[in-house]
Amino acid sequence: MKTNKLISKVFILSVLFLASCSDDDSPQLPKGDYENGLLISGEGSGAGTGSVSFVSNDLTTTENLIYKKVNTTELGIYLQSMAFDDDRAFIIVDNANSVTVVDRYTFEEKATITSGLEVPRYMAVVGNKGYVTNWGKGDYTTDIDDDFITVINLDTYTVEEKIDVAIGPERIIENNGKLYVSHKGAFSTNNVVSVIDLSDNSIEEITVGYKPDEIFVNDQGELIVLCGGNESWTANGETEASIRKIDVSTNLEISSLTFATGEHPSLLVLDNGALYYDINNEVYMIDENATALPSTSIFEPQGYLYGMEVKDGKAYLLDSSFSDLSELNIYDLTTKDKLDTKSVALGASKIYFN
Amino acid sequence: MKQTLIASVLYITCFSCFTQNDSLVNRLEEVVIQADKKLSKHSVGYKVSTLSDSVIVRNTESFTSLLRFNSPLYLKEYGAGGTSSASFRGTSASNTAVIWNGININSINNGEAGFNSFTVSLFDNIDIRSGGGSLEYGSGAVGGTIHLNDNLQFTNTEQIKNQFVSSVGSFETYRGVYKFKLSNSKLAINAGVSYNQSENDYKFLNTDFKNTNGAYENYGFNVSAAYSLTKFSKLKFYGANYFGKRFFSGELPNPLTANEKYQDFSHRNLLIYTHEKSRLNHEAKLAFLTQEYRYFEDRTISTFNFGKSKRYLANYNVSYSFPKLKASITSYSEYESAFGKTDQIAERNRKQFSQSLIYNQKVNSFVSFDAKLRKDFNSDYDVPFTYALGVKVKRIRNLFFRANGSKNYRVPTYNDLFWPGQGNLDLIPETALQGEFGFGYKNNQILIDIGIFYIAAKDKIVWTPGGDPDRPSVWVPINLSEVNNKGLEMSLSFNKTFNKHTVTFNANYSYTVATNKATDKQLIFVPKHLLNSSLGYTYKRFSFFYQQLFNGKVYTTESNSNDFVIPYYFVANTGLDYKLLNLQNKQLTIGLKINNVFNKYYVVRPRRPMPNRNFNFNINYKF
Repeated sequence: MKTNKLISKVFILSVLFLASCSDDDSPQLPKGDYENGLLISGEGSGAGTGSVSFVSNDLTTTENLIYKKVNTTELGIYLQSMAFDDDRAFIIVDNANSVTVVDRYTFEEKATITSGLEVPRYMAVVGNKGYVTNWGKGDYTTDIDDDFITVINLDTYTVEEKIDVAIGPERIIENNGKLYVSHKGAFSTNNVVSVIDLSDNSIEEITVGYKPDEIFVNDQGELIVLCGGNESWTANGETEASIRKIDVSTNLEISSLTFATGEHPSLLVLDNGALYYDINNEVYMIDENATALPSTSIFEPQGYLYGMEVKDGKAYLLDSSFSDLSELNIYDLTTKDKLDTKSVALGASKIYFN
Repeated sequence: MKQTLIASVLYITCFSCFTQNDSLVNRLEEVVIQADKKLSKHSVGYKVSTLSDSVIVRNTESFTSLLRFNSPLYLKEYGAGGTSSASFRGTSASNTAVIWNGININSINNGEAGFNSFTVSLFDNIDIRSGGGSLEYGSGAVGGTIHLNDNLQFTNTEQIKNQFVSSVGSFETYRGVYKFKLSNSKLAINAGVSYNQSENDYKFLNTDFKNTNGAYENYGFNVSAAYSLTKFSKLKFYGANYFGKRFFSGELPNPLTANEKYQDFSHRNLLIYTHEKSRLNHEAKLAFLTQEYRYFEDRTISTFNFGKSKRYLANYNVSYSFPKLKASITSYSEYESAFGKTDQIAERNRKQFSQSLIYNQKVNSFVSFDAKLRKDFNSDYDVPFTYALGVKVKRIRNLFFRANGSKNYRVPTYNDLFWPGQGNLDLIPETALQGEFGFGYKNNQILIDIGIFYIAAKDKIVWTPGGDPDRPSVWVPINLSEVNNKGLEMSLSFNKTFNKHTVTFNANYSYTVATNKATDKQLIFVPKHLLNSSLGYTYKRFSFFYQQLFNGKVYTTESNSNDFVIPYYFVANTGLDYKLLNLQNKQLTIGLKINNVFNKYYVVRPRRPMPNRNFNFNINYKF
């Protein structure tokens, strides 16, 4: 018994020693099959489960349904989004009221949280806590003000508390001890961004344009919000879309770029000082400090543009299908040439760099 | 009298083939009055099979289950008791029309009929007619039609018949049906009430879950009557009312999230006046139908989405016969005014007038044919001119041949046209040309029918993102795809009695290749192979049956990816009945039925397991 313990101690020490040595001179061991590549999440539909696809950075390997392959179960529909910490990925499936925790590099399931969630949408990770936006109850035309943020302890995977917020919380990001939540409006429409101070969970609301969706904090520390605006046929009638900048110290608007009536962008990417957005299935680009919107697009991608990312001079655009596998098209931003096409998840909607 | 007798004889010769022999005898003795004469008179060259009372009683759990085990249709169901649709020959759910006493009752909102929104046990018989029937039944009768019929009978002596069927089953399932029939030489009345209730919380095999939120209850009340006004004229009334409440069950991996509720109500009223004199027959119909659904996204909340429709129909038919030619010509004129609205669509009124002409002739004792033409005028869109031809050659040494060809259509639904921001007013009806050739063999014991069909459909309405160039990235319905379906439909029935033993065997097999012309791939949710069969055995007061279904693999993606399929499944039910009382005017039968007798795991829609083995005890009392 004692010798066993001793041996194991020696073994552990030697492993630690070796591990600390190896940092400098030998390459790191791979963390899993799904490192150094893109993860593409697909919402799924009646045609098939929500799923995650992997595309290696060198674009030589594509693997679909990686969660199902590793864990032999399906995620269900609709896979809304994913969040990450250093070694875990959190997969949020809104119809299944679930947050599935996996190793972000091997995709082995660690836990699935199904309590305290009701139509979960997005999650922000702050330390050992996850903050998940939830739409709560509602239907197409009416909504009920029961929407909330679920606070999950990521050590125990238990729900700690719920924070009551305005209708329709969508995206959620953390900046300087505060959570910023865009209230797109869930089953109806809304026009606020909530600022939640994590020290006391106090909430301040900033009024923005209708249907605020994507939010970022840029290098200058300003909050950028894409407000999609209401379509003309919706109950509230047409409202204009805008990209707004907000001073996070005062929560006041710094500037707003307003779109023409009838234009309703739904995607926004911030990369390297430039903003990329979509209108009517075309991609536009502006400098993040631009004071006017451009009149011409940089791409007219094929198919149905439903997801977008930009990194290292390349644009990754999803041509999504809800009746079949989708396509990931990769473009060179300088030459505008299409570099590659990959067949990825059914109902593909989000791209993450892993 | 003679006329109706001729009609009923014709009925029998046309498609007695598929009816059970026991019911045959009844029809000869009494005069059966049908609301829908087109089915019996103008189905020359078509395969029509009848689900008799004895078959209906075996599958009382749902209309879906009845058809799944006894017809060539493919049924899709969101878990047992959930939303359900049916399709013929690889066509879509909106290409299957349900006909109630001659009237097409598919929803004007979505073009489909919900197969778990009917109480079938109240109908006297259900006919299944494979092949295009737009000419007779209008929009959606592309793959085939399903007919719910009330049969009224005049009898020489006054008769009162009562039937009471009740059952108790697994998952707290309770059903009751009471039917009353009164008849004499001038009057016939049928009335029936039904009640169904189930917790429906069956276990999902291989999981820790149950079918959460799957409960349902529904009530049906039907009444019909016929009165003989004069020697030549009759007045008939048919009414059917249904109230249903269902919860929509959840799906894996987390069925506990389910909390939707659904209610539907329908009221159907039909008044018919007929005047039948030797050569000239008139028929006038008035109908008023309402339908409403309420969808509650959350059962705990009182707000709901809804769809409502009201339909007024007026119909005048006249037929003239040429006895020397053994021919008749019939004109059908119909005017319909339909009002539809949903929580998203303000009330719209659609008016339609249709005129059809049908020429029927028995060329000689072997050959008969129907030639048909129809033109519709619709306030919302142009409806194509349609035509159909059916030929039957019968009884050449027990062999028969049949053939039919038709042009059929399916009009855009209210949702397709008017959905806010997404509807498309430029849609035109889908059209499908179809042809079928069949042959078979029939004697007193065996009936075999083999049909080869081909359907070429175009302008299929598909919801497509960016379908309208003026509305990029918006999902819009457009007339998009061309689809070809071809295949084989076979049915076999066998019936033999020796001493006190009776054996019956029925089987339906269909092989369907339905491809999208653009991709050349099999359509989603179309199984290539579908086989059901049932075996019955009766000895004295005992009877036993066994029924089974093999449903082939289906693809759920357009590219036929093997990563997204519903595997084939095989499921079987069995049952045993015993007649406690078997008198001339009093029969009491008790029975036990075991569904999914081998306790197999299977899914019909992805991630929605179907019930495990379950039991049902029933009593059937006729007096």
